[in-house]
Amino acid sequence: MKKISCLLVANRGEIAVRIIRACQILGIKTVLAVSEADRESLPAKMADRVVGIGPAPPSESYLKVGTLIMAAVGTGAEAIHPGYGFLAEQPELPEACARYGLIFVGPKAKQIRQMGDKIFARQMAENLGIPVIPGSELVQDLAEALPQAEKLGYPVLLKAAAGGGGRGMKIANQPEDMKILFAEASAEAHAAFGDGRIYLERFIANARHVEIQIMGDRYGHIVSLGERDCSLQRRYQKMLEEAPSPAISTALREEMGKNALALAYQIQYENAGTVEFILDQDEQKIYFLEMNTRIQVEHPATEMITGIDLVREQILVASGQPLSFSQGNVNLRGHSLECRINAESPQHGFRPSPGRIVKWNPPGGDGIRVDSHCYPGYFVPPYYDSLLAKVIAWGPNRLEAIQRMQKAMANFFVDGVATTIPLHRFLLENPHFIQGAIHTRWIEDTLLKEYERYERDHLC
Amino acid sequence: MTSITQEDVLLILKLLDESAFDELRLETGDFKLLARKSAKGISLEVPDPNLPLEKSTGSNSAAQGVGPAIDHPAGNQGWIPIKAPMLGTFYRTPKPAAPPYVEVGSLVDEEDPVCIIEVMKLFNTVKSGVRGRIVQICAEQGQMVEFQQTLFLIEKIPEEKEPPQVLPP
Repeated sequence: MKKISCLLVANRGEIAVRIIRACQILGIKTVLAVSEADRESLPAKMADRVVGIGPAPPSESYLKVGTLIMAAVGTGAEAIHPGYGFLAEQPELPEACARYGLIFVGPKAKQIRQMGDKIFARQMAENLGIPVIPGSELVQDLAEALPQAEKLGYPVLLKAAAGGGGRGMKIANQPEDMKILFAEASAEAHAAFGDGRIYLERFIANARHVEIQIMGDRYGHIVSLGERDCSLQRRYQKMLEEAPSPAISTALREEMGKNALALAYQIQYENAGTVEFILDQDEQKIYFLEMNTRIQVEHPATEMITGIDLVREQILVASGQPLSFSQGNVNLRGHSLECRINAESPQHGFRPSPGRIVKWNPPGGDGIRVDSHCYPGYFVPPYYDSLLAKVIAWGPNRLEAIQRMQKAMANFFVDGVATTIPLHRFLLENPHFIQGAIHTRWIEDTLLKEYERYERDHLC
Repeated sequence: MTSITQEDVLLILKLLDESAFDELRLETGDFKLLARKSAKGISLEVPDPNLPLEKSTGSNSAAQGVGPAIDHPAGNQGWIPIKAPMLGTFYRTPKPAAPPYVEVGSLVDEEDPVCIIEVMKLFNTVKSGVRGRIVQICAEQGQMVEFQQTLFLIEKIPEEKEPPQVLPP
């Protein structure tokens, strides 16, 4: 076991704040790597030391493995936390850490590689008897794709082998769509991941996205921390998450937890990870989708119902300590929701809205938690993702959590940049949402249309 | 009028984007900006991209240098800083046993190497970029330097021939 006394945070925004807070609790000093655009950020004010690593574009700063390693070595940090995004799932970072005697707060490079290859992960799940969505092998070209699509039955989903975040993902409703969509999907996948390989999957219309949070240590302990339901998405970007899922039966929950652990044990997974499933609500079946080898944006939803600080646990496990809890200690209590507030204008097609925050009045009160890097006067730079804050509400049951979140959103005031707060207010009042009668395409198919109408009526 | 920052430029572009105009021309002091709206979006022309923009953002970050970051020495007026183009380890010599590239008092041309910055076994030679005399060495041999940290201060030697003053039309 290696004690960490100083840790380099290789990220920005709210997750940098989150990691620094965990370090402060553990008595670990922090070095924050910043681009030129982030020198006056909140995490830069909180960190014990700030190191400039390059210009604003991520490719010249936050994505430079060598520079981050040098920054850690040069400041005497013993560990690097990658947060999410940027280098969090690039095996080159843990490999370089190993070469320089640094601790990488995350899984092993090999585990990142294995799970990063979606086809490999699918096959591993199948070998373990875990159901996966019926689909094809890799298809090289359109000629190979067409008979496979016929076999699965339309509509089919075209997906990138290296995929994630919906990039390279297309829905083909009929054979005539395939020609254009196959080319588009392959080109998008190539642009996003440098890997244009495509496979097909049967499209599930009435689906939910449910995921299991797991945590493992190097002594072979792996624990499941229950599920999160992330079905409320727009263009595959999650908008609101909740834990536990309002749509999962006890039997399915047990099956999902068991499958997630089987997969994690198969690769002796270490640190925080998430195993994603698709729930077919018509058939009441769950299918393995993929595994993410990082701490996720929505981890606070799980923290609120388990009482476990996942980022703190990540750092302890990475330093060689055994998990501080066992499966028997994990008790799920109450219900939590998380709303992601972005600097986007839902009234203008979700146009990004960087700029100076003039007013920043976040909500508070019993059961409300706000994870954010924003403050009055903060300039939201245009170079990075638009997440401003995550508001998490906890209640003894789902309805009370929703009520608290409704009040929180009603009392969240921001000026200077456009935000998605108005859309969240609208969503939280929607009876379908309150009843839990939604699916992964519901926001785009239904809610956004109703919202447009609502906005139009209120402008007149 | 104070210097124009990156943020100001963004705001100006936003204004143009939302306006009915197709072109915007702005000149203040030594800063000149021309932005045009076309079907493809907004194009931007900054005649001397290095000087005004870089200078203002650079001085911003130095002034707002948050936390206990490494010192950015201010120096005397007229002294020009040579800044680190990347984060890495600072070496004054081309090889361990070799004499340093420059000492205080050395005269350098724009193209003269002044130091090396190493990033994971990649050695990047940093050139002076300015003709002048080294008046201060601000970084320590073998230490990590940050992106944009001041490495040297240079006293500029006036050009023998003053270039004709080009005034914006």
